[in-house]
Amino acid sequence: MSQLQNHQVRFTGDAKTYFGIWIVNILLSIVTLGIYSAWAKVRTKRYFSQNTVIDGRHFDYHATGMQILIGRILVILGLIVLYIPILNLLAILALLIALPWLLNRSIAFNARMTSFSGLRFGFDGSYGRSFLVFLLYPILSMLTLFTTYPFVVRAVHRYTISGHRFGTARFGFDSPIWPFYRAMLISMVWAVGLLVVGFFLIGGVGVFQELAMASQYGVEPDPALIVRFMMMYVLFFVAILPAAFIYQAYLRNSVYENITLEGGHRFRSTVVPAQLVWVALSNALVTVVTLGLMYPWAKVRMARYLAESTEVRAAGPIDAFVGQEEGKVTALGDAYTDIEGIDLGVAI
Amino acid sequence: MAGSALGHAHPALSSKRIAARLDWRGGVVWLRDADGAVLASGPVQRIERMPGGPAQVHLPDGWLFETDADLNGLPGARPDRWLSRLEAWHPRLAAVALICLLAAVALWRWGLDLLVALAMAVTPDAPVRAMDGGNMVMIDQVLAEQTQLDLDRQLQVLAIFDGLVRHAPPAPWGEYRLLFRDIPAMGPNAFAMPGGTIVITDQLIQQFEDDDVIAAVLGHEIAHVSERHVLAQLYRAGSIYLLVTLIAGDPGPVLQDFLREGNALLALSYSRGQEAEADRLGVATANAAGHDGAALAEFFDALLDEIGEDELGWLSSHPALADRAAQIRGMAGGTD
Repeated sequence: MSQLQNHQVRFTGDAKTYFGIWIVNILLSIVTLGIYSAWAKVRTKRYFSQNTVIDGRHFDYHATGMQILIGRILVILGLIVLYIPILNLLAILALLIALPWLLNRSIAFNARMTSFSGLRFGFDGSYGRSFLVFLLYPILSMLTLFTTYPFVVRAVHRYTISGHRFGTARFGFDSPIWPFYRAMLISMVWAVGLLVVGFFLIGGVGVFQELAMASQYGVEPDPALIVRFMMMYVLFFVAILPAAFIYQAYLRNSVYENITLEGGHRFRSTVVPAQLVWVALSNALVTVVTLGLMYPWAKVRMARYLAESTEVRAAGPIDAFVGQEEGKVTALGDAYTDIEGIDLGVAI
Repeated sequence: MAGSALGHAHPALSSKRIAARLDWRGGVVWLRDADGAVLASGPVQRIERMPGGPAQVHLPDGWLFETDADLNGLPGARPDRWLSRLEAWHPRLAAVALICLLAAVALWRWGLDLLVALAMAVTPDAPVRAMDGGNMVMIDQVLAEQTQLDLDRQLQVLAIFDGLVRHAPPAPWGEYRLLFRDIPAMGPNAFAMPGGTIVITDQLIQQFEDDDVIAAVLGHEIAHVSERHVLAQLYRAGSIYLLVTLIAGDPGPVLQDFLREGNALLALSYSRGQEAEADRLGVATANAAGHDGAALAEFFDALLDEIGEDELGWLSSHPALADRAAQIRGMAGGTD
């Protein structure tokens, strides 16, 4: 086997350029009463794909706005049925049955519409395994009070990643279970620890006692109490939001470590949890304070941070991948996950 | 028109990236590798360039040529050129941002109404009738019992109802029909469904002997049907959800949640507007049918005595009952 060659992933986009794309997207989407949002999605994905570069080669996104629009119209027509009583019971049943298929279509559409170095990705799913990892396993883990949830996360990653192809070269994924437990435990220790410590610092027990007294006897609560109550609200965000990013960081690092691509290629993610939390929270703050105007800056900053934290360890020339003729894919599943805001929770 | 540019070429179905040169004369191009060997030739199929990305020339046999050079001299279809120009960093974008803001306000003010009107215009009868039918099945299963009213009283109320219907606009997606149900959990109440089904509770008819009150309440419900209030609210909520999800999928998750929460609060004020409109039209219909529509105020007074304003609170979909009673008396000319 030849020597592994490291390629640093780079993000070459900048906030100025993306701002133009973003603001035009919003304007055209508004004046077309939302229709243009299908094309807007394509522009955004293209910009971020074209500016993600490995070894001088970039990604690209090839879906057309019309494909996405048609998918969205079909999904909206389908969702209307959910508002008709009785009939909607059948529709919900049909949706549950169709869900594994829809999620497969969504993953496949995104894979097929994405290319790297001029070659498309692909995804081969199976209805049965999709049903298991996206519907059955989560329900089973609920029965164990989510103590087995890391097994679900691993199953989802194993299914989605090893179903992917780059041209004809298959991706693979397998991992011991402990990194998944570690990610969950560390983020839970953060969230629970901070909640408990903060609760006592603010004097949370007293706050609730006084609030209960106030509501029971109709006493007007002390304004200072309201401030303390608000602080508990803030505490909630300080504890929960970073925990989500801490989890993401550990998850991403261990997932990348265990991805393979046919030909002996490996991947590496070096996200530092504290840095990811800092980038994400300061991004959110700046975006809110500027009423969304700095959102393009924030999004580009995150893309750059993630790219800088990612390496490809190629076992051979990147020129050597080949593709195959593929059948057509529709945007139906993609439109469904878009409209329902479904995030498959796969580390990317 | 002739020219050439240096860049890279990708063959179809391959990740190969080949240093290449594109030469063109007239409408024909030649793609050559570093040794000058022709890789592809023929007419250009399409030229694309996103801001911040390479120029991409789509060639015959699936070849793609990419360059950072300026390809303005190369003839060929550039379907997204106007868009890329609009998106380019330029002081003009400040104006685009400003228009965005204005357009968002206009969308909120008129665009939503337009979307709702469009959706209602294309809504066929069948699904709306199915909503009525399905809702009634659910209500009969969960809440309601057969009416305890005697047949004479039912016929009297039906006569009032028929009189009102003759003076009301037609039901948009079906026929008006009145159903009697015994629903202790709801107390004295009546409600309407989009297809034209109106349900009145035994409790209301038993508590209010006065036909004018019953006529005014039924007039109010008929107005909900004729003004298509249920679907208007449904479509409005749906349109806002879609617009926020699909357009503002961009402003980011925090802002998106903020918009959705704000929308829930605004929906409350919207339904208060609907109630006020139904009060106004209902009273007018009752008057036109020969009743005293202002009796609706009596109904609200009685409700007020029974439940007390505090229990409804400001979150209620119905405007303050006392305000509504006062408004109805005002419409009737202040005579009470």
